[in-house]
Amino acid sequence: MKYMILTYASQQDYDGMAGKDTGKPAWSAEDFAAMGEFMQKFNNDLEESGELVETRGLTAPVHTRRVEGTGVPVVTDGPYAETQEVLAGYWIVECESFDRATEIAARLGECPGPDAVRAGAVADVRPLAESRDHLDG
Amino acid sequence: MAANGSEDLLRSLAPQVLGAVVRRFGHFDTAEDAVQEALLAAATRWPEDGVPENPRGWLITVASRRLTDLLRAEQARRRREDTVARWMLPDDRLVPAADRQSSASDDTLVLLFLCCHPSLSQASQIALTLRAVGGLTTAEIARAFLVPEATMTRRITRAKQSVADSGVPFGLPPGPERAARLDAVLHVLYLIFNEGYASTSGPSLNRVELSAEAIRLTRLVHRMLPDDSEVTGLLALMVLTDARRLARTGPGGELIPMAEQDRSRWDAELIAEGVALITAALPRGATGPYQLQAAIAALHDEASSAETTDWPQIVALYGLLLKLSDNPMVALNRAVAVAMAKGPREGLALLEALETRLAADHRLHSVRGHLLEMAGDHAAARASYRAAAELTRSLPQQRYLHARAARLEDNPAQDK
Repeated sequence: MKYMILTYASQQDYDGMAGKDTGKPAWSAEDFAAMGEFMQKFNNDLEESGELVETRGLTAPVHTRRVEGTGVPVVTDGPYAETQEVLAGYWIVECESFDRATEIAARLGECPGPDAVRAGAVADVRPLAESRDHLDG
Repeated sequence: MAANGSEDLLRSLAPQVLGAVVRRFGHFDTAEDAVQEALLAAATRWPEDGVPENPRGWLITVASRRLTDLLRAEQARRRREDTVARWMLPDDRLVPAADRQSSASDDTLVLLFLCCHPSLSQASQIALTLRAVGGLTTAEIARAFLVPEATMTRRITRAKQSVADSGVPFGLPPGPERAARLDAVLHVLYLIFNEGYASTSGPSLNRVELSAEAIRLTRLVHRMLPDDSEVTGLLALMVLTDARRLARTGPGGELIPMAEQDRSRWDAELIAEGVALITAALPRGATGPYQLQAAIAALHDEASSAETTDWPQIVALYGLLLKLSDNPMVALNRAVAVAMAKGPREGLALLEALETRLAADHRLHSVRGHLLEMAGDHAAARASYRAAAELTRSLPQQRYLHARAARLEDNPAQDK
């Protein structure tokens, strides 16, 4: 079975990571480097075990474009509020069980970072529909 | 033989083998698959059986056999009689054996021209060059460009199909066309190098493998065309730029601008090689853009600090580059050099003219921030750094720009 692990962050979280003064504790150079190292190892381990299908990080929410409406679509730049948490990154893993995917997601809790950021971090694990049969009515 | 040595040997033989097989049988697209399979067979068998006495001949034999199988299967499927005619032309029997050594470098050059064929998109040219000439696997190329392997497979398959369909004969393009086609080849190599050196996405700034691969391939072209001064210029440019790679980032992966880099970490050997290359190339023939950029890189690499750099000379070289093509990035670099040679206000004045063309480009704002900082206008410099940080999507660049802005706040007394 394939599962998607999703992590979230607000524009404010991204700004903190980019070293911008947000009034919240910012990421030091050490925090940022440690996070990079952790992620690299995390991804390498998943690649080694053969469970990683694909992983991506998304750029800051401010770079989002939203397309809405029928006929002539309306395009909005940066549709999210500063503090709204949106998708920040994902992993698609293929593993034996939901529990194993959950175990992988739980390891993300060990990712280094400022304490305030770590305390609020969540990851969701969602099974992917394996075929159209799971979705079509 | 160590696994790495064996891999290097295979990679260097890959274009020669493909060239020989295509020269003999045609069918560029299928031949490319056959050669990849031969390389794979070698990678698994040579470590066990030992490297054959004539590795190139071994690969050509295995690839030719595989190609015959693939073509037979294709033929059976399509029931197309003319396929046989295409790969058994009587003329082919008259050309020298496919593995004669003398044609190896010509074949590699012909392959490069094919891979950078004008009918292909730039992305396809790059992918095909890395696979057919560089000998990288599709998976490796996909990883380097951060796209799923299936996407890269399709991109390469389509590209090969276009080359095969275009019906270009396997040979060097005729004289007048050759210069333009060589430009395309050099541009592709330049793009591969840049992709590795200044990766445009992802957390890590250097994707070293791509730069190394671009340098390896450019060395190859240089060996085949030692008298072409733009080829020499491009190789010099890559080597002189790569020489600064280690000093370009700090321990946490943060960006360090050239003025603040620890120049003892620059690679003296590469600098010496690059300087020798560009010194030999400059007096020969017309001076093209790669030579000019290499000459600028050499002036930077030879200076012991930003202050002792020959900025007036760099200003003059950027002026020549601008005459060759009206590129706003060249104009931006020239403005920096002018600021270093004559003072920040002179440089800032030049930025005005670029405002409309580069308003949405973080580099304009970043340069403006640096020049304003040099001029002592810290409030305006901070605003420019922050504007640049809003525009770039790279986290390391954002961190660099915000740190730059924050440092100005922390030291307001340091105004010059």
